[in-house]
Amino acid sequence: MRYLATHITRYMYEHPVVVCHNEIRLAPRAHAHQKVLSSRIAVDPNPEILAGRLDYFGNHVDHFSILEAHTSLTVTASSVVDVQKPVRLVPAETPAWEDVRDLLHAYGNGQTMSAFEFTCDSPFVATAEEFAEYARKSFLPRRPVLEAAIDLCARVHKDFTYKPSSTTIDTPVAEVFKTRKGVCQDFAHFMIAAFRSLGLGARYVSGYLRSGANFTGAEASHAWLAVFLPPGGWVDLDPTNNVLPGEGHVTVAWGRDYGDVTPVKGVALGGGEHKIDVEVRVRPLEQN
Amino acid sequence: MVTDRIKELSSNPSRTYQPIDGHYDEATGASGLPRRHWRQLTTALVRMGQARLDRRWQHGVQLIQSNGVTYNVYGDPQGSQRPWPLDPIPMVLASQEWAFLEAAVIQRATLLNAMLADIYGNQALLHDRRFPAELVLENPGFLRASHGVPASRGVHLSHYAADLARSPDGQWWVIADRTQAPSGAGYALENRLVCAQTLPEAFHRSRVRQLARFFQTFREGLAALAPRHRDNSRTVLLTPGPYNETFFEHAYLAKHMGYTLVEGSDLTVRGDRVYLKTLGGLEQVDVILRRLDDAYCDPLELRGDSLLGIPGLVHAVRSGNVAIANALGSGLMETSAHMAFLPPLCRHMLGEELKMPSVATWWCGQEQPLHYVEQNMERLVIKPTFPRFGLKPVFGDMLSAAGRAEFTAKLKAHPWQYVAQEQVALSTAPVWTEKGIEPRHIVMRVFACWADGKYVVMPGGLTRISQSAESLVVTMQRGGGSKDTWVLSEHDDEPFVLPQPARPPVDVTRSTDLPSRVADNLFWLGRYVERVESQVRVARALLPALSGECDLGGSVSIESAIELLAGYRYVAEEMVHAHPGEQLRSLERALLSMLFDAHRPAGLLWTVGHVGRIAWQLKERLSADTWRVLSQIEKDFQRQQPPSGVRLLAELEPLDKAIVTLSAFAGLMTESMTRGQGWRFLDIGRRLERALQMIELLLYGLAGRHESLELLLRVADSSITYRSRYYTTMQADLVLDLLLADESNPRSVAFQFTSLAAHIGQLPRQDDAAHHPLESRLTLKLLTAVRLLNTEQLSVPGKDGSRLQLREMLEAIQQDVHTLADALSRKYLSHAMPSRILVSS
Repeated sequence: MRYLATHITRYMYEHPVVVCHNEIRLAPRAHAHQKVLSSRIAVDPNPEILAGRLDYFGNHVDHFSILEAHTSLTVTASSVVDVQKPVRLVPAETPAWEDVRDLLHAYGNGQTMSAFEFTCDSPFVATAEEFAEYARKSFLPRRPVLEAAIDLCARVHKDFTYKPSSTTIDTPVAEVFKTRKGVCQDFAHFMIAAFRSLGLGARYVSGYLRSGANFTGAEASHAWLAVFLPPGGWVDLDPTNNVLPGEGHVTVAWGRDYGDVTPVKGVALGGGEHKIDVEVRVRPLEQN
Repeated sequence: MVTDRIKELSSNPSRTYQPIDGHYDEATGASGLPRRHWRQLTTALVRMGQARLDRRWQHGVQLIQSNGVTYNVYGDPQGSQRPWPLDPIPMVLASQEWAFLEAAVIQRATLLNAMLADIYGNQALLHDRRFPAELVLENPGFLRASHGVPASRGVHLSHYAADLARSPDGQWWVIADRTQAPSGAGYALENRLVCAQTLPEAFHRSRVRQLARFFQTFREGLAALAPRHRDNSRTVLLTPGPYNETFFEHAYLAKHMGYTLVEGSDLTVRGDRVYLKTLGGLEQVDVILRRLDDAYCDPLELRGDSLLGIPGLVHAVRSGNVAIANALGSGLMETSAHMAFLPPLCRHMLGEELKMPSVATWWCGQEQPLHYVEQNMERLVIKPTFPRFGLKPVFGDMLSAAGRAEFTAKLKAHPWQYVAQEQVALSTAPVWTEKGIEPRHIVMRVFACWADGKYVVMPGGLTRISQSAESLVVTMQRGGGSKDTWVLSEHDDEPFVLPQPARPPVDVTRSTDLPSRVADNLFWLGRYVERVESQVRVARALLPALSGECDLGGSVSIESAIELLAGYRYVAEEMVHAHPGEQLRSLERALLSMLFDAHRPAGLLWTVGHVGRIAWQLKERLSADTWRVLSQIEKDFQRQQPPSGVRLLAELEPLDKAIVTLSAFAGLMTESMTRGQGWRFLDIGRRLERALQMIELLLYGLAGRHESLELLLRVADSSITYRSRYYTTMQADLVLDLLLADESNPRSVAFQFTSLAAHIGQLPRQDDAAHHPLESRLTLKLLTAVRLLNTEQLSVPGKDGSRLQLREMLEAIQQDVHTLADALSRKYLSHAMPSRILVSS
């Protein structure tokens, strides 16, 4: 599928902002079944500098600063991407989860070592025995890892209630686990915590859902996760919609947790009270 | 025999210096005799005798106090400053032993730097499994934003410190690596200054190696890191601020090394460069010597929960336009688990054996060490691999059988989260205590810096001592002490010189190099000192009224005193009409509150407290004399219980003393301060405040119903001038002229406006607009207003005795002075605009 993804972020300030420095991760990254045909960032007012680079995890990040006083700031990212349906593995044929865990901890080459990093605690995701306990109901001894992961995803989808504004970015995973409610970020963080508590590798994926489909969390930034599955790499899971992401999910960036892939982040001098308005559209394009 | 001599020194002759069994004593050998390299010192101490040492040491303690050498203790919101605890007896090291320590510390700094370069580069050590990936990838000190950012000239560690301890067999061990922003070198230098003055003979005779050259080398090394114009680079010392535990040292080093002391808000990133915000505009910064932990240095790319840092800094570093010492991310090497891997890493990376061992360390993330720790728990301290909230070190020997089993289960569940170390039985050294000379445990911090491609070690160090003979805990936070550290020289090649502060480099092109925050502090210092003086003068003029003689000197009535105090809101408005006896009592209450109530906002003691706090923030900008005078102001007002009744009159004397101290400050300002922009802002602050205080005095003392001309003249220190001009006739218009319009009277309002006009003409102009800026127009307006006023007409009282026209005129001027103060703040000093972190998904 080919999409035009548009992500508009608008800040409106009570008082003028004199200086601001920002970091944005809005340009989608390419991977095995996603091609990025074009990607454009527009900032209004005009920034003094706008410099792009790849971050530690290989995501595109743009840095910009504005030195003129302004009372509103608009960042528009528009990208054209081709998303293909990934080749599905047969869950029952994937290796036993304990073997994946042991392989990760015996990291011996570049790939397993970079995956090993995603078994470690990170600022937004702390592991805990209670998460492992919850996960073990799916991760029965010697169960194929993908089968167990899909089962866990379904349970999270069933056990947790999607409730906008019930949590904030800083709500700890333990709290989400206790109240069993939250939004896509929280479900992703919880599942990552559960995988890591078992010793498996899991990473946080930020992106978009195609508009118009019957998805929860569309028309906004979406978040899901991926679990490490050797030898090929990673398999995505979306607990919010209880699906294996395919053609309907556009990947923007990945990292250990939300903190590594925050779409728009900035420090502003002045400004007073502010309002944020975010608009996301993922429109299918005709393909010739 | 020599222990007997030490015994003579002891204030309690029945006690002798008795080293502790089972520990190595630095001063005394197994035979009970002093070690060879301690003999000069011991002999000198004996020759000096206790009385002289006591006297000298008192001087040393005074030096520490009056130089404001302090160490702040966390969790004290007032930033209460503890005097730096120094022991007069130095730690002594023989030259041969030092040669070994020096080589070992150089090797270790080189090795840690190479490890950091690998970890923030291609991570070959992790891929080859020479260093556990967990210790990097799970380490909160590993800053991913710094990965792939080359350190200037490959130097991650531009300075480094090692904490060394000596075990009973005489062997030295490294017990901690300080790679983040090592503190203590400045304290070591200050210790030397004090100690060398206390024991000059012993210092001279012992041929102690000098410290000053190390700081010169450190300077050269930092200058070499500058990405551009290395011969003329600008280095700043970045401090978390005056409430930091070692702020004294930040100010001290900045002054000594000639660097501008800055807080995060003094710097700004524009484009991909870092600039210092000065009065004259933005000045590019080339090197940042940071005492702020790396994670807090950039709220945009590093920890976003603190605004201590500089947004965009990492971007500027990545662009190669500024060097940071130590490089961002170097704090990674402060966890102790890495120590277990250093011997093979040293062979691998440097091709040599590790010269000095680390304290025996086992990281439990590997099978064999975990097994060892389980078996030998009673001998070990087990700590979290990474400091996390809630995890405290566990001392194996303190665990019960059940506790041990429980802890072992936790350990085995997450073994990589734990690291175990042996406890070193620390050596002891003689310490001067109230009970005589006693042994205390020591840890010695040794400093290295990078210069010209290699590391250089400071020939000395900071020796810290435990609080009691039993305690093995050596920490400044929990109230230990410190010692100067003497490294003896084999040769006589180093001439004896007391270390002198390095002269700041003279550079005429940077005469406006004054951070706006510093100018702001100077401005407020001027204002607060003036406010203190004005309040002291008011109190001093009113005190005699308490003698019961209502009629003071024939012209000051109790009514006028009360009316004045009502103006200052020290008494209620109704008091003006009260019975004289009641007025007297309320006068007493008002004076008590004025002089002793520390919580009264904008009251005398409150203002004095602010003078102290601002002076502390300006530490590196003030001369030693100015600092002492400002500390004296605080001391002048430190008094016990508020006296009652007639005893309040005794307060006249301390108030007179305070006026002398304040005059000393004014004298230093006039006679000793360079007329730079800093002085200018200090004086602008004083002039503005004096104008405001005088306007208030006239409003409350002359515009109301009960004038008190004598009182006004006394508060305004203008009685003599008045009498010499007009003899004894007290006339309101003449007093008004002298205090408001007379440009030759340094206390008059007009005089302040003339000075302000001159100062404002000299301020750096940030815009070359053709028309006059607001502050120039305001001063001109004010000056014209006082020049044109008709004092005779204004002095005519109305029917009720008040002078309405005068009041209106004074209030208009007062308003304009406030507007002027705001205009100056906004243009030159404003930097305190709050910044915020914004995120959006």
